[in-house]
Amino acid sequence: MSSAYGWWIVIVVVGLLNYLSRLSFIAVFAKVEMPPLVAKALRFVPAAMLMAIVVPAVVFSSPGALAFSYTNPKIVAALAAAAVAWYTRNAVATMTLGMATLWIVQWMR
Amino acid sequence: MAPSLIGLLPFGLVCGVGAQSAGASPGEALGMSALIFSGAAQILACQLMAAKAPLTVTILTCFVIGLRFLMYSAAMAPYMKPLPERWRHAVAFLLTDQAFAAAVRRFRDSGDTRNGASYALGTGVLLWATWQVSCTVGYWVGNVIPGAWSLEFVVPLCFLALLVPALEDGPTRVAALAAGIAVVALDSLPMRLSLICAGLVGIAAGLIAEARQRGG
Repeated sequence: MSSAYGWWIVIVVVGLLNYLSRLSFIAVFAKVEMPPLVAKALRFVPAAMLMAIVVPAVVFSSPGALAFSYTNPKIVAALAAAAVAWYTRNAVATMTLGMATLWIVQWMR
Repeated sequence: MAPSLIGLLPFGLVCGVGAQSAGASPGEALGMSALIFSGAAQILACQLMAAKAPLTVTILTCFVIGLRFLMYSAAMAPYMKPLPERWRHAVAFLLTDQAFAAAVRRFRDSGDTRNGASYALGTGVLLWATWQVSCTVGYWVGNVIPGAWSLEFVVPLCFLALLVPALEDGPTRVAALAAGIAVVALDSLPMRLSLICAGLVGIAAGLIAEARQRGG
């Protein structure tokens, strides 16, 4: 049922919804005092959300197909990259070594 | 900052290729990257539009994947409070995973809100501009990059580089571990609800771990 304006309907509505989500609590907590439990919980947002974004991109070989094994090159590459990130705290080194590991492991199989 | 930009390039290329192969016009592709400004939502929108899914399903799925912005918004709120309203709206429009991770760390390191806020705004504008360029390049020439290069894997690596410094103590590590397990366990949930649910599970686990640490 995608009409001629289908794309633009999606673009404008999703763009607006995304903007409202992004603005939501920035606007609310500018006027209302933040509850103490919320303030305490916010510290965990980066760790929890970033992990939830990274893991599916690494452990699934295709959507829905879990490939949790050392034969999955993406897991080997992600572990190598995590080690680099841990010891160097350098994002460029992390991405470079992660990609290099991925290519080497893919090439070896 | 610069690393986020580098990570954004292949991500934008992938999004541009997606828009092109899903049959979006150049204007629609640009509208998507300029207004939606979220790689995950753009890729989903392209997949669903290419599959001729109903527009309501496409919109709802993209909205659900964007629910994480609610959490980012809450986490940014304390730092945004002293700012003029116009600034808050601008930072909100430009809020992305990368901008959030970079800004929160910056705010925590420098207590100076004014300085932190201009950093957030500057980062956002730079990321937005880079995003338009890389999506457009992807739309026009992205399909010449061989798929065997797996260039899209730079995206999780970029997030990994942002994640590791966030694992600052026991409770944050518990939060990340719980979120990582939950996102796989909940993968079958419709409309990518697994992402936001795993985030909430991780936050709850972090709070519990912190309470236990303090208790004993």
